[in-house]
Amino acid sequence: MHDKNLSPLQAVILMLALAIVLFPVFWILMTAIKPPTDWNASPAIWIPTEPTLVNFQTLFDPEALGKYGVGGVSQPATKAVLGSLMATIVATALSVTIGLFSAIGISRYSSGGKATPLIILSGRMFPPAAIAVPFVIIFSNVGLIDSYAGLIAIYVAVTLPFSTWMLKSFVDDLPREIEEAAMIDGRSKLMAHLTVTIPLIKGGLFATTMFIFILNWSEFMFALVLSYTDVSTIPVQLAKYVTATAGTLYGVQAALAVLAMIPLVVVGYLIQSHLARGMTFGAIKQ
Amino acid sequence: MSRRDFLRKMSILGISAVVANAVAVSPLGALNAYAAIKGAEDRAWELAKAAAAKAEKKTLTLLIPTGSIGNMTPYVDKWKNELGITLEFIEEPDEVVHTKGMQEAVAKTGRYDVMMPTAMSYPDWIDSGVIYDLTEWTEKYDPELFNKDWGVVFPASHHAQLYNGRVAGLLNDGDQITLLCRDDKLKDPAKVKAFEDKFGRKLAVPDTWAEYRDLAEFMHDPANGFYGSLEYRSPYYVKWMFMQRLVSKGVLYFDGDMNPTFNSDEGVQVLEEMLAMNQFLHPDAFSFTWSSNYNAFGRGEGFMNIVWPSGFKYSKAPSTGPATTGKIAATVMPADFTKDGTKVYAGLFCWGYGYAVSKYSANPELAYAYAQWMTSPTISADAIPYLGGYSDPYRVNHMLAPTQRLIDTYSPEYLKTLYDNMVNTVPDFCLPGGFEYQDALDKQVHACMTGAKKPKDALAAAAQSFERITRRIGKDKVRKSWLSLAKNLAEPIRKASGADKWS
Repeated sequence: MHDKNLSPLQAVILMLALAIVLFPVFWILMTAIKPPTDWNASPAIWIPTEPTLVNFQTLFDPEALGKYGVGGVSQPATKAVLGSLMATIVATALSVTIGLFSAIGISRYSSGGKATPLIILSGRMFPPAAIAVPFVIIFSNVGLIDSYAGLIAIYVAVTLPFSTWMLKSFVDDLPREIEEAAMIDGRSKLMAHLTVTIPLIKGGLFATTMFIFILNWSEFMFALVLSYTDVSTIPVQLAKYVTATAGTLYGVQAALAVLAMIPLVVVGYLIQSHLARGMTFGAIKQ
Repeated sequence: MSRRDFLRKMSILGISAVVANAVAVSPLGALNAYAAIKGAEDRAWELAKAAAAKAEKKTLTLLIPTGSIGNMTPYVDKWKNELGITLEFIEEPDEVVHTKGMQEAVAKTGRYDVMMPTAMSYPDWIDSGVIYDLTEWTEKYDPELFNKDWGVVFPASHHAQLYNGRVAGLLNDGDQITLLCRDDKLKDPAKVKAFEDKFGRKLAVPDTWAEYRDLAEFMHDPANGFYGSLEYRSPYYVKWMFMQRLVSKGVLYFDGDMNPTFNSDEGVQVLEEMLAMNQFLHPDAFSFTWSSNYNAFGRGEGFMNIVWPSGFKYSKAPSTGPATTGKIAATVMPADFTKDGTKVYAGLFCWGYGYAVSKYSANPELAYAYAQWMTSPTISADAIPYLGGYSDPYRVNHMLAPTQRLIDTYSPEYLKTLYDNMVNTVPDFCLPGGFEYQDALDKQVHACMTGAKKPKDALAAAAQSFERITRRIGKDKVRKSWLSLAKNLAEPIRKASGADKWS
């Protein structure tokens, strides 16, 4: 590890970059603890003098803002939080699992021929808005509209190209000889991959999981279009915090955004040691 | 007051009381009048009872824009307890409601019974077959849409509910824009004198757009965080500011043959006048949403504001208008002049929610009954004052014979102003492809306001987009709808724009 002090210029640039990157986070955190009178004040209030947890309370008790004369929040965010967690975790697990085996198949056995990786990627070439309505029709006909099964299916379909391509690059990086050695030792192909390939690319696996989790967690378009009442997710719920008595409920939106950040921070913290390696996406080839 | 004056006034008061009492107790009096006004509500309730009794699905599902639920929730228990019908609300962001309707047209899920779009959605929704033509129901159950005493105020009665002369939805929200001024500033003796010295006329709410500009300049005090006006320059909202000024010059959006008319001398003049106003606007005008605009005005950061009736409610309520409570003078939108010098008062009926009935509803009659019941002269008068909803006055009785709750929420003066303004309103693009027309215009007007395009270039580009949209949708189809709209405009505007000669 390098033990070199930053030059003053480097330090200034770094601080500036940090300030830019962290400003939205700071603003959301501050807004989340502002009372309604401070949400949209002019001049802007940077740090609230009377911080409150009422915005967080409102997420689960829509009447909480009533003490500030603000009504009109009609439903708690509980369903959206649970819905987001469930859909994201299941879809991420499926996407990464399927992507992992696809990646191994493509990388090690050229399954499906040379065109397969490109065909898989082609799913990402259409903007979501273009494919949303056909999915509405298909899902309506097969009874998947407004269901978590449908939402998860579409999440997996949308993120699978990413997981496959990312994981393929990690598998490509790994010398085949290691797996072949395991097979010579008597392991089947499957066991060789399970006991050798996967442990050796776990940095990439974590990074991919994190990336897919973020994609699913923040997905808005499909969740909005494919949902009515049974399905609810955080990004859709965020767009609904508008009332006739107070307009956009910036504080409540910020509180939900803070909650939405927590899983990402936790997961990011847990896998941080793998991230630096993983995020290079296998840039250094053999 | 002299003794004679006093006696005269007391006599008038006495006679008034006797007449009022006689009217109230007479067979043709107030009780009967109330029964008459309650007819639409009663007929809707009878239909609801019959439809609810035979309905297998005991839930009525409503697609509504987020933030509008407050006007509907007070009646949930009544529908449950007396009809056994559960009202289920699906809230969607308001900019998504139109899309959700179009989506339902292809998905045909039957998930919605009642849908609450703005008037601009009706043409596309009717054409895509997702909502019912309500004409036959309205003929049978008579929601009293056109009654002169308690019907929906003309011309909104026509352009916010009809598509090609057929009833597509029932209006539940009187979204027109009026002008608010700070009354305390108008009464400030120092300002009164200074204004008279400078302009040679009395300090008062503006009557014309030129006076509006003068007032904005006169009151503009940016050093103290007080600005001439708060009108919008932000994307999505700025088109309405343009459209409002344009119709005040007696120019509509198209001529009788669907050629855009805003790319004219008058259109360019409007943009130039708007550009000239920019220096007297609140610095946030370029980013205002309706709520941030209301908040800024309520905090006392401007002299004038162009807002929907909910903006007046905000400014009147101490919680949302701490600096403006009791200090608002409202007026109809300023007038302007046509090329031949005719003075034209024109307002803009922009947005305006209503109830439509889904073609895929399991209980369409029940859904219609709900729409008629909620928008009946009596129930609507009760529903509008509830906070937490967008509904604003739209029937004659809301404004000219208001209930005490309506008076408390708005004020008699403002309700009268709403009526005076509404009779001269011109609608949004309530045409097939209406949202596309609006977006095309908005983009170009905004580009002009930010200096990215010269007025003439911006309007030429918008006109080009309009022609493309018209071609794509079909000129005959849009023209039919446009002529139908134009036929039902207020007479002075039809004359000023030449629409009275279109056929």
